[in-house]
Amino acid sequence: MKAHLREGLPEARAWPVKRIGSGLKATSARAASALPALVMLLAVIVCNAWLQPDFLTADSLASNMQNAAPVILICMAQAVVVLMGELDLSVGAGISLVNCVLAATPGLMGWGTGATCLAGLAAALLAGACNGFLVGYARQSALIATFATGAVWFGCALLLMPQPGGTVPDALGEWFAARIGVIPVAALPVLAAVVIWAVLQRHRFGRRLIATGSNADAMFKVGVDVRLVKLLGYMLAWLFVFAAAVCLSAQTASGDARLGLSYTLNSVAAVVIGGISLTGGRGSMLGAICGALVLALIGNVVYFAGIPSNYQEVFKGAVIVIALGFTFVGAKKRA
Amino acid sequence: MRSLRSNGAIMSVLIAKGLTKRYGGVLALDDASLTLNAGEVLGLLGANGSGKSTLSSILAGDRMPDHGSIEVNGAPLNPGSPKAARAAGIAIAHQHPGLAPDLPVWENVFLGAERCRTARFLDKPRTREHALRLLEGLRPGWNVDAPAGNLTAADQQLVEIARALALEPRILILDEPTAALAAAEVDSLMRVVRSLTARGTAVVFISHRMAEIESLCDRVMVLRNGRPVGELPVGGQLDEPRVLELMGGVACGAAAAHVHDGKRDAAQQRLSHGQAVIAMSVRGLRAGARLRGVDLELKRGEILGIAGLQGHGQEELLDALAGFRVPDGGEVRLAGPAGARTIVPRSPRQMIAAGVCLVPNDRHRQGLWLDHSVEFNLAQVDVNFEASPWRLRRAPIRRFVDDVVARLRIKTSDVRQPVRDLSGGNQQKVVIGRWLNRQVDVLLLSDPTKGVDVIARKDIYEAIGALARAGTAVLVYASDTEELLAVCDRLVVMYEGRIVAQLEGDEMNESRVTSALFGRSAA
Repeated sequence: MKAHLREGLPEARAWPVKRIGSGLKATSARAASALPALVMLLAVIVCNAWLQPDFLTADSLASNMQNAAPVILICMAQAVVVLMGELDLSVGAGISLVNCVLAATPGLMGWGTGATCLAGLAAALLAGACNGFLVGYARQSALIATFATGAVWFGCALLLMPQPGGTVPDALGEWFAARIGVIPVAALPVLAAVVIWAVLQRHRFGRRLIATGSNADAMFKVGVDVRLVKLLGYMLAWLFVFAAAVCLSAQTASGDARLGLSYTLNSVAAVVIGGISLTGGRGSMLGAICGALVLALIGNVVYFAGIPSNYQEVFKGAVIVIALGFTFVGAKKRA
Repeated sequence: MRSLRSNGAIMSVLIAKGLTKRYGGVLALDDASLTLNAGEVLGLLGANGSGKSTLSSILAGDRMPDHGSIEVNGAPLNPGSPKAARAAGIAIAHQHPGLAPDLPVWENVFLGAERCRTARFLDKPRTREHALRLLEGLRPGWNVDAPAGNLTAADQQLVEIARALALEPRILILDEPTAALAAAEVDSLMRVVRSLTARGTAVVFISHRMAEIESLCDRVMVLRNGRPVGELPVGGQLDEPRVLELMGGVACGAAAAHVHDGKRDAAQQRLSHGQAVIAMSVRGLRAGARLRGVDLELKRGEILGIAGLQGHGQEELLDALAGFRVPDGGEVRLAGPAGARTIVPRSPRQMIAAGVCLVPNDRHRQGLWLDHSVEFNLAQVDVNFEASPWRLRRAPIRRFVDDVVARLRIKTSDVRQPVRDLSGGNQQKVVIGRWLNRQVDVLLLSDPTKGVDVIARKDIYEAIGALARAGTAVLVYASDTEELLAVCDRLVVMYEGRIVAQLEGDEMNESRVTSALFGRSAA
């Protein structure tokens, strides 16, 4: 900073208390968008605990965490993209692709667990970079471009695994089912993703990602390479897609090209339930995680409520519609 | 000249040559050249659409010129790259602030120029303090942690300006920075600009206010139809007649006088109508953050003008009255043939049925089916034509369309011509013409002459005058205050979502309006 601009600058540490206060206010304003999702999550947990007496035991929480981890991670991936002002309809196919890479490479190449995981990570980041390139540099509509690439990822998964089969390295499954004290290992990938996101919120890239979603044209005019932000944003999202695929593969222990397909639209629904605006820039990751947990636990509630299995999907869909209603009422109140 | 000189010679920091830019068929900038010296303020003057904004955005790298070159300090500048322009020391404050509405104010000031610690982690305390100090220099009292989207239009403009100042530029472009600002903020901005020029920064200043140009600029350049048509030194005084002549102001003046004559006739005619009947009264109308309680009375046969700076609720008021936007509170009382009744505007359909019709602000998006014919746009069954049960009655529609085209002097080769091919003025006439076939009790017009040339302006105001003579109450918002003064019988001024002044007769003058525009009671 030049000397003349430093004149009259108050000491940076003069009012630490005031600064913390203002920081809290900003945080709470952002978290407000997640409030409806948080309330719904609490409601779903209460229902669950009521219908399923052993819900709050460590074993049950661990198994629920195992089920929820891939959902949370894929929703976080979608949230990154939506906050950036785009959409990714290929994340589900991405899970399938990574799953098939994890299941096929040990057989094809004879690689160990570590190398197999690296191959899966490379596939995910490559696919993310491809989506980011199409949306950022080739200026394709995210909706169409990722719909198309989703078909490609699914096709690649089918080529690797024409029939369900193969074996995901055993170490993965054992590790995933383990517990450290009361903390299920399944929670660790989610925790890692949350930490990455939280750290990025203090980093220039993370803020530029949100700012791009908020107003991409303004970002171009202040000299930010919006294309690069989008490319990197998609790659970050696909890091989370990779994590989701690893969690899911550890549970199924085998490869199936159709494994992830249903996750795509679930992730979009969770993001919207979580109060993130589909036009970008507005919302919080906390909301997306709550939305994901609501989706993950609704299945449980429906099952333990003894609703006939044929009605379960209908019921689940209706709950999502109601959840979306809550979110929009909340959003309107704030506007 | 206050220019900084080195060894007696003026240092040129920026030389632009032969800049040309075409949008579709329109030549927005035609072989424009410009030289900028260190420490000087160059004023850019010109009518709307003369190319000022195009020129400044090309200099800032926001737009790619079709031809031409730019040199900064002797080095060629990579065109069409905001990044390159900023690296070369050029900063711009745009006319329309480009903020990230969801980010806090302090982050917006340093958007793209974030102050970082190691590994590009944001240095929040330092950035925040610096942003606060830049903003406080323009207006005291900021909450820099609030999302920028919650700011008023004026504050958003100040954030946009602070963003340009944050770059510590050597070349600063201010594109109509003062249009939305109050006088005190304009004064602070001028102070900041002067302190920058004293340190050798060159400034390009765009404004429509001659007084600001006079007090700030060393030199002005006048643009007309995308071409520089002249340069004048200012030196404390501006040769205003000469500038107006260069801008093409003679023609404008004549047209305004014409409209004025029409107004006098209209007023006389309406006076002969006798006592005034209230057509619509509005009580405490509120909608969102921009409309905060408006009381209004509109008489039959009256043209009531709304003046206001952009973003002070005029558009929202008209939208609410037309049923585009459901109000949060307040009531609207309409005098109809069946006596007065109170209604809450809920939908455009309901308001049209009640005789309240809107000529919307954005005619391309809200007023027209651009790819359809003039006829299709003028006559819509079930909007302004009764639906007959079994078939479309073509003959009355055709008669109506021919009548409107003749009455409003709509220049079209054929009523089947797509509206897209018409000029802006004729398109606007089509939007207004739609309401000529039915009993319109209250006609709302939102900036009806935006982007319309002077001749078509006259036709439009004549048509509005004719409607008023027939008894329609007209409520019109226009961004051009002079125009409102010329055509309206009464004038209300809006500021921050409320009406702050009602002006009639002799009170209707530029100075009263201008002081009210900035929220001060007309003293």
